Amino acid sequence: MHLWQATVPFCLLASAAIPTAAAAAWGFTDATVAVQPKGAGINGGYKESFSSSKPLGNPVAFTGADTLRVTLTTQEGSSAKRPHQAFLLLKDGHTGLDISYPFTVKENGKSRVELTQKELPLQFLTLPEPIDARIVIGGFGSSDAYDHSVFKLAVERDVNIPIPTAEAPRYGKLPEIHHTFKDDPTNPPIIITLAFVGAVLAALPVLAGLWLFLGVNLSHLPAALKSAPVPHAIFLASLTAIEGIFFLYYTSWNLFQILPAVAAAGAVAFVSGSRALGEVQGRRFAGLR
Amino acid sequence: MYNFPSPPPPPHLCHSFFASSYSIPEAQSARRNSFMMRWCLALLLCCFLAVVNALSSSGSRLLVVLDESAEKSAYSTLWSDLKERGYDISFETPKSNSLSLFQHGERAYDHLLILPPKSKGLGPNLTPKNVLDFMGQDGNIILALSGKSSTSSAISSLLLEFDIHLSNDRSAVVIDHFNYDTVSAAEKHDVLLLNRPEALRSDVKAFFDGEGVLALPRVAPQTLGNTSPLVSPVLQAPATAYAYNPKEEIPSAEDIEATGSQLNIVSALQSRNSARLTILGSVEALEDKWFSASVKAPNGKKISTANREFAKQLTAWTFKETGVLKVGKVEHHLATDGEVSADDLNPTIYRIKNETVFSIELSEYAYDKWVPYEVPAGDELQLEFTMLSPFHRLALQPTKKTETSTIYSVQFVTPDQHGIFSFRVNYKRPFLTNIEEKHEVTVRHFAHDEYPRSWAISGGWVWIAGLWSVIGGFLAFVIVWLYSAPAADKTKKMQ
Repeated sequence: MHLWQATVPFCLLASAAIPTAAAAAWGFTDATVAVQPKGAGINGGYKESFSSSKPLGNPVAFTGADTLRVTLTTQEGSSAKRPHQAFLLLKDGHTGLDISYPFTVKENGKSRVELTQKELPLQFLTLPEPIDARIVIGGFGSSDAYDHSVFKLAVERDVNIPIPTAEAPRYGKLPEIHHTFKDDPTNPPIIITLAFVGAVLAALPVLAGLWLFLGVNLSHLPAALKSAPVPHAIFLASLTAIEGIFFLYYTSWNLFQILPAVAAAGAVAFVSGSRALGEVQGRRFAGLR
Repeated sequence: MYNFPSPPPPPHLCHSFFASSYSIPEAQSARRNSFMMRWCLALLLCCFLAVVNALSSSGSRLLVVLDESAEKSAYSTLWSDLKERGYDISFETPKSNSLSLFQHGERAYDHLLILPPKSKGLGPNLTPKNVLDFMGQDGNIILALSGKSSTSSAISSLLLEFDIHLSNDRSAVVIDHFNYDTVSAAEKHDVLLLNRPEALRSDVKAFFDGEGVLALPRVAPQTLGNTSPLVSPVLQAPATAYAYNPKEEIPSAEDIEATGSQLNIVSALQSRNSARLTILGSVEALEDKWFSASVKAPNGKKISTANREFAKQLTAWTFKETGVLKVGKVEHHLATDGEVSADDLNPTIYRIKNETVFSIELSEYAYDKWVPYEVPAGDELQLEFTMLSPFHRLALQPTKKTETSTIYSVQFVTPDQHGIFSFRVNYKRPFLTNIEEKHEVTVRHFAHDEYPRSWAISGGWVWIAGLWSVIGGFLAFVIVWLYSAPAADKTKKMQ
């Protein structure tokens, strides 16, 4: 008796608890995914059925002109019912992109969605891996909503058809730029340079040899130094000095340093030169030249 | 030119220095004076610091536009939090005649918080043009929306100016059958429970992240245009969310405009002048009730919301307490060993192919003080050396850190192109105020005496040898001409 009294409320409690514990959940049956190429008949192309417990193993190929059609019957618990939300959700795990295509649902839960590649966002057309296709079914109240991956969608497109870029301006770091410098000037191989330098410098001995061959001599030097030693010495020295000043200009001096020096040496060369050349003229008049 | 003036010596040091040079009786009174002075100074400094501590980097005058004062009490925690952070809050109703964002052509407030009005529109003083002008003068705005009633077309057209779009009928509410609060919205599923948002991208600093769950009742969703880099999402709806008009029973497939993460719950815009606008989809999330509510997701545990912390982050960012960058010293000079003297700093002219060092000092404002700014891991602070287009774009590396700033620098060779160049740092990132530094310098080519000498160029040796052999030949010819006697025999034979 006491046992009965104790168990009755307990049983009542348990029976009341059962429906809430096993709250109805949204789901679907009779689901098929079909890919219908352009121009194929109503039953042409790929068609495969799947269920909420058994997703498709192989990715569904979806090429340029195909129409993807998913049909199913939505259920709350085990009875067909129209949900508030019935989406085909495409989601890319890597980039986190997601987009949903709502099913057209009838009162009896029969739902259908059709999709072509034109309706896909551009970003989905160039993904390297198949997109995760999920079915999302949900409604108000306490029934658990349904959201599971049912198949993979492999978007295949003709690589020859360019797609517009999906680049949008966003602030971020830009690619680095390093200035490309012009090449430094280069020299020819030093051997060649030295060979030509040798050829140029060889002109002097060749010249000396030719002169000697023609009988060049310095026989008048004692006579010249005897009759006008100072003008000759100074004239030659000033000529050498002018060349020396040019050498300094080449190595270190600037124009304003050499101008007065050259003017001075030039004046000296002019005066001493006229004397020295007068002596040379005297030798010519004497018939020595 | 870009140096800060050297700081004057601290006042108390000056005082003690002068005091010590007085004679003894005078020194005592002087010391007393300096003591008083020091106290005054310290007191002043304290006041100054207290004011600075509690302020945003761009002012404290906050105008809250709300419908009725009765509504005001629902958000009392928010107001007290804001007051605690130093804001000086004024409340106005949209229809009030005294409401004006400008006074004598200047901003009358630094920040604006607009709660959704019950009436149509925001009244004659908050036209889209006025609000845009307010932002044009560096005013910051938080605009809260609500999915409870339809948003007015005035707000919708204001948001259109920013490329932020509301749903077509302006009365959509975000529903998610997976992330809702089972305590308060067991039937309608219109109170979203979301984690606080992480960084927008891996190279963007997170200003709104943290532990905890946000409760967002009756969210009016926004979608963002794709063409503007100025708008960025702060908090996006989960992938399974969708928006629908609660007045319609079941949305038909055509009525669904945007779904999942395309729906923004909180979005932000920072204009080119760094004025900020935040759109908060759910005004109720700021209410006291939701600051301390305990919520439970389906199949989750009962937890309390993090709305209060999020509201702090959101207001702090919008009102420029966070994400504000400041440029300190900008220096450039020729790369040398050791210290650079002040004369050699920031020269106006460089030569091509000079080794040059550029450095820039950056600070970031964090609630009440300047701290060293650190570039996020995936990001780079870049220096461009430009003449019309960049010749160099190089990453600046942090080289030194002070108490309030980080110094970034880079060494590079000026390009082999002379002209008027500029050092440019153009650092624009989501959620950070814009930095645009441009410092012009001349890059000249080699002067005539800076080229290598001709004897150093081996290819020129042939010509040099030719020159000097001519000179030697000339001198030899002069001597021969002056002193050579005719070679009598040979000439006779030749004749």
